[in-house]
Amino acid sequence: MAKLSLMFEEKMVKEVPVGSRPVRIGRSPDNDLVVDNLAVSNDHARVYFDSGRLVVEDRGSLNGTFVNDLRVERATLHDGDSIWIGKHHIKVDATGDAPLPYESGRKTTAGSINETMVLDTKVRRDMLQQAAALGERTQFASGRIKVPTIVVLSGKTDSKEYTLTNKLTTIGKSAMATIKLRGWFKPQMAAQINQRDDGYYIGSGDKVPVVNGVSIPGPTKLDDGDLVEVSGVRLNFIVRE
Amino acid sequence: MQISTGGATHVGMVRTNNEDSYRIISPLNLYVLADGMGGEAHGEVASALAVETVVKHCVEGEENPSAALLDEPNPGLNPKSQRLLSAIRLANQKVFQSAQEHSEQQGMGATLTAAWIDGMQLSVGHVGDSRLYLLRTGQLQQLTSDHSLVAEQVRRGILSASEAEQSNLQSVLLRALGTQSEVEVDIEQVPLFPGDVLLLCSDGLTRMVTEPEIAGTLQAEPNPQRAAEKLIEHANEGGGIDNVSVIVVSLRPEEKGWFSWLRRGAPKSAGGNGSAGGQ
Repeated sequence: MAKLSLMFEEKMVKEVPVGSRPVRIGRSPDNDLVVDNLAVSNDHARVYFDSGRLVVEDRGSLNGTFVNDLRVERATLHDGDSIWIGKHHIKVDATGDAPLPYESGRKTTAGSINETMVLDTKVRRDMLQQAAALGERTQFASGRIKVPTIVVLSGKTDSKEYTLTNKLTTIGKSAMATIKLRGWFKPQMAAQINQRDDGYYIGSGDKVPVVNGVSIPGPTKLDDGDLVEVSGVRLNFIVRE
Repeated sequence: MQISTGGATHVGMVRTNNEDSYRIISPLNLYVLADGMGGEAHGEVASALAVETVVKHCVEGEENPSAALLDEPNPGLNPKSQRLLSAIRLANQKVFQSAQEHSEQQGMGATLTAAWIDGMQLSVGHVGDSRLYLLRTGQLQQLTSDHSLVAEQVRRGILSASEAEQSNLQSVLLRALGTQSEVEVDIEQVPLFPGDVLLLCSDGLTRMVTEPEIAGTLQAEPNPQRAAEKLIEHANEGGGIDNVSVIVVSLRPEEKGWFSWLRRGAPKSAGGNGSAGGQ
């Protein structure tokens, strides 16, 4: 029985047999072989039997499908071939050429890497640069440099504009606050902005900030253009490109 | 500011060896936690060597502020942050060298997260996917960025935060100590306020226990040692698939006047020294 083994470095991530149905390979989770990697397209490639021959077909992927170092759109496969997709490769075992009957109800669970491993940073950088150079704007839209900024619209602060560069930005009278409030009766720490992976969240300190006219119930994600009022100061959150 | 600390580690419910290491250096208000990786017992070697190196370099810097740093001073960093950066880069070199010299240690590495309090200023040094949280006014805020593939995908807008939690590639790191000759270290400087609680933890906690549960536990248990033990219990109740280590640091305003004089007799919570897998 022909089978495909998804390998990462020298470790096997998952193995699937090739039946009468094509084996779908890509980044989206509904594929038979899920390659969760930035360099891999959602629907990247397929491997199937065509008249008794095992064939790989690139699905118009961004970074290409390689058979033994050669970029291919479509190629027949032989026992021992390697299909390279990003940093992963798929070993081809074509010892049994006849297709398996399609097994309905077969559950293909995604392979799991439990052991912690580290991707080589140089490889990753090259990979991302290559992808960016090819200009897949949708996938790497956020690869463009975005500068989250707080602009002071009114109120007394030590500066009129702040670039958010830290994980935590504090707003208050404290000498160590990033956005320093001036004036009597201002709280030491009025509010705080936490940078999370998916954006910037404002949370209360000694005061509850008002975002776009609404008092926030808890940490609230800031969107480009949001108006923040806290302790008598009006701020505008802007993402500059 | 009155600082009290607690720390705990556990092998978890699945694994047989504990590759985490941590140290609480109370006289310096320095807290360091590392999660090792690598086959056999080498993850333990890596995390212990990393923690040891960081602590040593920081202690030397305290004793002799002019002790050599690995880098040219960065004017944007205060002396503690500067020292911490140097210490973590040195730890990277030591782990990397050890792995080069001992073929059986090849591929070993560690995450490392360190917190150093100086007055009301916190310096954070970080590589990998262990985390530092700040609990303040009831909100749990992560002060470190995970150097993992899935977190990077979220930052680039490729995955949503919930998709990242479902990913089977959570263990793939983009940065760790000791896997390359040089490493980029994240340094953060954060002002502290009375009432703040810090939590350093390995991913064995954050994979098993949600952030609201962590926040709830820290708020419900003001004693840092008991809070640390509770968090470990929760991780193990949640499945305990990995080693889990936590350090809890609680900052309370200095008590003044007759009230504090009355309370002087109360037992102080123990700081101290902990390391997984023997030291």
